[in-house]
Amino acid sequence: MDARGRHIILKRLELGKAAAWVMILGLLGAYGWVQLVKRSEMREMADRQAIKTRTSPAPRGLVYDRNGNKLVDNRRALHLVIQAEELPKDPSQIEALAMALQREPADLKRRIQASRQAGGNRMVILQDNLDESGLAQAELLRARFPFLSIEAAPRRVYLGQDLAGHLLGYVGEVDENLMKKVPGKFQLGEIIGKTGLEASHNETLKGVDGERRTVVDHLGREVALRDMVESVPGKSVYLTVDAGLQRVLQEAFGKENGAGVVIDLRDGGILAMYSSPSYDPNIFLNRLTQDQVKEFWQNPVRPMLNRAIQGLYPPGSTFKLLTALAALDKGIVTPSTRFSCSGHKNFYGRDFRCDGVHGSLDLVQAIAVSCDIYFYELGQRLDIDEIHAAAVKYGLADRTGIDLPHESASRVPSREWARKARPKDPKWYAGETISVSIGQGANGVTPLSLARFYAALATRGKLLTPHLLYGMRDEATGKLVTLPPPAVQDSGMDPKHWEVLDQGLSEVVRSGTAKGIALPNLAIAGKTGTSQVTAFVDRSHYAGLAKKLRDNGLFAGYAPHDKPEIAFAVVVENAGFGASSAAPVAKKLCEYWFLQRPVKPLPPPAVKPFSTFQSETEGEMP
Amino acid sequence: MKISLNTLDRRLLVAMGLLTFMGLLTIFSAGRGSVSQGHLWIKQGGWMILGFAAMVGVAHMNPARMFRSSAILYALGILSLLAVFAIGRKLGGAQRWIMMGGLTFQPSELMKWLALLFVAHRLGTKPPTEILTWELFGVAGLVFFPMLLVLKQPDLGMAISFLPILLLVPLIRGLKAKWVALGLVAIGLLGVFAWQKVLKPYQKQRVMTFLNPEADLQGKGYQINQSRIAIGAGGFLGKGFTSGTQTQLNFLPVKTTDFVFSVWAEERGFLGVLIALGLFGLLLNRILDIARAARKASEVYFCVGAAGIFALHIFVNVGMVIGILPNKGMVLPFFSAGGSSTISYFLALGVVMGIHRRSLGQ
Repeated sequence: MDARGRHIILKRLELGKAAAWVMILGLLGAYGWVQLVKRSEMREMADRQAIKTRTSPAPRGLVYDRNGNKLVDNRRALHLVIQAEELPKDPSQIEALAMALQREPADLKRRIQASRQAGGNRMVILQDNLDESGLAQAELLRARFPFLSIEAAPRRVYLGQDLAGHLLGYVGEVDENLMKKVPGKFQLGEIIGKTGLEASHNETLKGVDGERRTVVDHLGREVALRDMVESVPGKSVYLTVDAGLQRVLQEAFGKENGAGVVIDLRDGGILAMYSSPSYDPNIFLNRLTQDQVKEFWQNPVRPMLNRAIQGLYPPGSTFKLLTALAALDKGIVTPSTRFSCSGHKNFYGRDFRCDGVHGSLDLVQAIAVSCDIYFYELGQRLDIDEIHAAAVKYGLADRTGIDLPHESASRVPSREWARKARPKDPKWYAGETISVSIGQGANGVTPLSLARFYAALATRGKLLTPHLLYGMRDEATGKLVTLPPPAVQDSGMDPKHWEVLDQGLSEVVRSGTAKGIALPNLAIAGKTGTSQVTAFVDRSHYAGLAKKLRDNGLFAGYAPHDKPEIAFAVVVENAGFGASSAAPVAKKLCEYWFLQRPVKPLPPPAVKPFSTFQSETEGEMP
Repeated sequence: MKISLNTLDRRLLVAMGLLTFMGLLTIFSAGRGSVSQGHLWIKQGGWMILGFAAMVGVAHMNPARMFRSSAILYALGILSLLAVFAIGRKLGGAQRWIMMGGLTFQPSELMKWLALLFVAHRLGTKPPTEILTWELFGVAGLVFFPMLLVLKQPDLGMAISFLPILLLVPLIRGLKAKWVALGLVAIGLLGVFAWQKVLKPYQKQRVMTFLNPEADLQGKGYQINQSRIAIGAGGFLGKGFTSGTQTQLNFLPVKTTDFVFSVWAEERGFLGVLIALGLFGLLLNRILDIARAARKASEVYFCVGAAGIFALHIFVNVGMVIGILPNKGMVLPFFSAGGSSTISYFLALGVVMGIHRRSLGQ
């Protein structure tokens, strides 16, 4: 090679070296960008595909009655589910699955899409609580649809079945409407209390869900457990309810519709609360069949209504005590004021009737025999707004504030109410006040607020707040830790007035309308009531039952008379006289509470296995 | 002739030794947990030892003797390529391998070096200024003939790796603007022609994927995307040896050959990439330094061609796994597992080392 040629080639080699280093630097630049600048983004993507998170639902807290008898338990149950990462995309596949499950394809599609958009780690439950045949079917489905899986998860068991259905409520997946109403509060697929106590104390009962993170390979197979956050079980609660008394109340109703409430006068705790017809909450844990939807949601009897807090009944004669209080407070009568009853009397040009011809009687006697004329006379001397004010004062108007959802407000009419409720006919007629004074007309009260009113009469005017939560279970010791009861207000009842009413209520059972329930060794005080099923009061649910337009029977009171411990209110729908329908229920309650229970309390609710499969794999959640 | 490591070029030896060691570690990590590839690192280690021995042997031979027999070697290479068509083994739609006693041998790996050896020899017989243009075309023909045979297998990546030999043309003639322009136009026309006539659908797919990798992350863009995730997740220090999730959980595809550098990048991070690319740079730098010191033109040409082939493989593979170049089946020297390629690269380095020994007068 000559020197000149060599020189040129050496120069070109230098260029080649420079080019090599430029290439190396260029590659380094690209790697620097991805590894240093985009590092966290890339690492997140790597983790997202390699780490799968699954939510392990926390077992909800258990529910006990005041004596520690279990009312609500958890079981392990098997569900047919689709895990969050295996949600199918192919619409034809979803359709085929919907067909196999006998579900609406559009419905299932929407559910799966919603779950994918939510991006959570919760599985979509297709069939709850598989029994033997369900499990066999599920396995067959799994062969056809490999993305399905069968998962064990805690499931609610309501031990007493329909013993306290309305009171306890039930749980279910949070629905879309609620999620939209309170954004960010619930996760899709989360199990929450839908109604009853499960709903009102959902935050206490629900616990904190755990998470299980696993490392998966490119085929989605689990390779290793990465970490786990154990779920924290929900807090178990004790109710003020006595399961034995609740059972007595339930059995006393038999096939009759209506509601009964028993209040503990010490603190306002609910000892028993029953709405008939009741329902078994266990049914609502599964997808309802067509027939079940018809039976529970489209039934004119409305079994889903908690009549104790949502049924508005005209209080009938049980209301007369409020009329008396209003009149005594106004000073238009004294306990010794007498009116004469001749069986009927004309007020404002209309003839009002009484059940009997009582002659001349004072207030105590008028209460005892439930003379309508006496209270018409009081009504004539009272303004409707004065009666309303007394109802507010003694706690018969509005809601009681019980810790249950969807309580209805009791209604004692006033001029303002008339204006709002019937804008076409806003005028209040004096004749209406006559009807209201004996608990008819536009009056509508819940059995709970009636019981609370009689609790006020029993305690010389204390306004208790009815409640169900008695205390929490200390998980370490298993003992009950009671919670302070809600505050008690004083209605400011005049002791002199109270004395007369107390005497009158005692006479009702001793010698008056309810003497049929008198017990030799227990003095009960109370008032019967018989109310017409009027236009104002939920006539809609009688529309299909025209033959059942008989009067409602009521009985409200307290016992024992000299030192009251409980107050109660019982409404039996379409059963005629309160003395013969509702009062015997109250009698059974008192008999059990004061006479039988101290000696031989009823056994706690026993579990009825709801399928053969369940009873075999019995086991409690930890 | 006394065989001794001391007489070999120290810098080249250190660079390629470190790269080989890093490559073996990567193969070990990439093969972990896989039944079929669990022992691949042992096999690859065997190839490396064999290649190293061959390299030392060749380094102690007189390069002049090798250049003299280059025509016969070239002819043998062409014959073996033709043999592939006759008795070759078909794997995954391509006929590239010859079975020899349980081992598969890929003649094309060695062929590009033999072509380089022969071309360097042919061009080295005259001073560069006296080489006629038609002679350059003849030399180009020597490169294109085996290239076409390889393209027929089909193996586009391998065929392209013959092209750096043509770098010798501008080395000798220099780069003129009009030639560059003409070349670019030719490449453009060739590209259009290739797109319509030569490229197989899967190759077109690769180009499309390269142009728009986010279009279908679960489908065609999957490999590149997973590779980028692996590299990025490595960060500065890496996830640690055998600790890369992308590698160990098999999200990363073909991780012992085409995407082996992603494994290194994920587990050793940017620092590891910096070291590896730095060593590659030093390797290329050293080969070109040896070219500068070489006494004979044919020796210079061989070194330049070798540097070109190494550089192309590094650039295409390292650039491909991070997504700046299309997904082309081109292995990374010292890292990718494979007997034929490993032995071939070591042999080529052996020739370069032999040239170095000669230039020192040993």
